[in-house]
Amino acid sequence: MKLRSRTVLTLTFIIILSLQGNAQISWKKQEAVDNLPLQLFHSPQSINLPTVETLQQGDFEFEISHRFLPSIKDGAKDLYGFDGPVNMRIALGYAVTDDLVLTLGRSNVDDNLDLKGKYRLLQFKETFLPLLVGVQFGIAKNTQTIRPIASSGRAYQYFGQIIFNTMVNKKLGIGLVPSYLSNSNIYRSDVQNSFTLGMNLQYYVTNMFSVLAEFNPTVNGYLNRFNSAAFGFELETGGHFFKVILSNNAKLNPTQFLSGADKNFGNGEWRLGFNITRLLKF
Amino acid sequence: MRNLLFLCLLISVELYSQGTELHVKQGSKNHVEFISDAPFGKFSGVTDNVDGYMYWEGNNYTTNSSLYFEVDLKTLDTGIGLRNRHMRENYLQTDKFPDASFKGKITNVTPAAQGTFNVDAEGEMFIHGVTKYNKISGVLTKSSNSDYSIKTNFNIKLSSYNIDIPSIMMVKLSEVIELQLNFNLLAVNKTEGKK
Repeated sequence: MKLRSRTVLTLTFIIILSLQGNAQISWKKQEAVDNLPLQLFHSPQSINLPTVETLQQGDFEFEISHRFLPSIKDGAKDLYGFDGPVNMRIALGYAVTDDLVLTLGRSNVDDNLDLKGKYRLLQFKETFLPLLVGVQFGIAKNTQTIRPIASSGRAYQYFGQIIFNTMVNKKLGIGLVPSYLSNSNIYRSDVQNSFTLGMNLQYYVTNMFSVLAEFNPTVNGYLNRFNSAAFGFELETGGHFFKVILSNNAKLNPTQFLSGADKNFGNGEWRLGFNITRLLKF
Repeated sequence: MRNLLFLCLLISVELYSQGTELHVKQGSKNHVEFISDAPFGKFSGVTDNVDGYMYWEGNNYTTNSSLYFEVDLKTLDTGIGLRNRHMRENYLQTDKFPDASFKGKITNVTPAAQGTFNVDAEGEMFIHGVTKYNKISGVLTKSSNSDYSIKTNFNIKLSSYNIDIPSIMMVKLSEVIELQLNFNLLAVNKTEGKK
């Protein structure tokens, strides 16, 4: 009995002492929770290949891109391409949610009108290298073909891509983009399909300047003439991404780009081009 | 033995009746906003992620007073995703310095209208890895025995906290940023321990 009351007394003292230590301030700092979505590449697209990056819900992104058809090899007489002609694309993307962007684009090549949706699927923050996985699907209609096509249905093309992105040391972004294209060449009498294994690298020299390169070899199915390659630099400001690039592929809309290039970069047949995107919020 | 126990209880009750401690009331309408008003355009960033406490003993608000408030900068939303990212990664470097905070004491309290007090505080402002001594004034409103709110506006100079002002921004930042804070506090019931 005596032992018990002593225990009670001791316990009470301990409790009081501990409360006394606490008496001043009981507020405790909350454990920080990182709810931010993982972001790797800065821009939603590399040169022609997509990255997993999306926009914030409600944001718009306007794109205007050019590819000058004469190659730089043709030299000063075509002003390294600037004399034209030129392929161009204009597009407007809209973020339906933080994870889903819908983009409507148009190219002057066959007046290709394309609608694509990109969805940010998975993120792995705690792995050895951070990993983002996204998918992109699109449908395109070539609204004005320069030659007759087999049937009106052949004006439509479809594509699908899985996008894997990682980043080393917050500096070197690496992308792998297996892509499937259906009806690769609308002018062929039989339907052609292509499977390509796109890959892209981007090194962020500073927060606002980076160099990037892209290679999109066709591993199976239809290939225009050559595998596509491109490289260049990207300048990033508050709401713009400016890319100046050299590529052997002059096509811009996804279903046209994925079918392959017509120039041989092995012969130095590079063409100048640029992408400009502008983020808009209304 | 029983008397001793009683005495202990008395001491503990005595201890707890001394101080008033307020905690930021989570889930209430807390509002932290910075406003950049440059010639090119005005924009702001908003978060409700503020936490901290305020403490004093007795009735004059200043005795043994201390206060600490922190804002989670990662959650600041300027309305444009890319701008948020630039702010976090390029200018505030929130992976290194996730919070901005103010730690200090209450130096002066003067009653204003019914239930409101003008409060002066001084202490250390911590932003972007830089600590600066600062004096801040605000209004404390007591709406019931346990419910309080704080409203304060003050300016900070970005260069004082080594925050580079970007030369090319979609909307250029002004060198002086106005901060507006308006948040609710709840008194902690000491006899029942922590909130």
